[in-house]
Amino acid sequence: MNLFRSEEHIGRWLGGRAPGATITVGKLSELAHAWWSDRLLPDWQPRTRERNQALLDRLGLDGEFWQLP
Amino acid sequence: MDEHDLRLRSLTYGLFVELGRAPTVSEVAAFGELPSADVSSGWQRLHDQHALVLNPATAEIRMANPFSAVPTAYRVKADGRWWYANCAWDAFGICAALHADGRIETSCPDCGEALRIEVHEQRPDETTLLFHCLVPAARWWDDIAFT
Repeated sequence: MNLFRSEEHIGRWLGGRAPGATITVGKLSELAHAWWSDRLLPDWQPRTRERNQALLDRLGLDGEFWQLP
Repeated sequence: MDEHDLRLRSLTYGLFVELGRAPTVSEVAAFGELPSADVSSGWQRLHDQHALVLNPATAEIRMANPFSAVPTAYRVKADGRWWYANCAWDAFGICAALHADGRIETSCPDCGEALRIEVHEQRPDETTLLFHCLVPAARWWDDIAFT
């Protein structure tokens, strides 16, 4: 899970490997704030798979790649 | 996750932020007035539930996501301290968890050029960078250190 300068840099880094998923750094920040902002709250509770999937869906991360187990 | 493990998790994360590094079993035991064996067994249950990640060689903390207990390629300055994140997602996650603005420093894995991103009110000042996730979500926890 890395940051790259551009698609060209991702392609070169992948070499012959199959690509995963690419999103903008702005979308990543949205995702991180939705995913982690409750992590230090005193009343934190683990989220269910369904809640995590809904969180990804809300951000448009809804393809097969983003399907949680 | 029962009340005992929730309390242990909260204690562990609280100490991580207070110390600016991962607490040891002994530190959590002393701070929480718990037997060390209870901390170790509780951490193992939290590890099994993906609520933190233990170093298999030492049974100490490797990750209290989004924080990393060991140096990584992702350094984050937030809330007056430098932290290590496990990956790019977690780097932004540290700002999110601390509810703070921050600065992320890393480098492009392809060319090695230094990348510096300021995060202000949840928004990065650099908008051209791209995040690539190699492993599909279904397999993130198969090998979380690689993911």
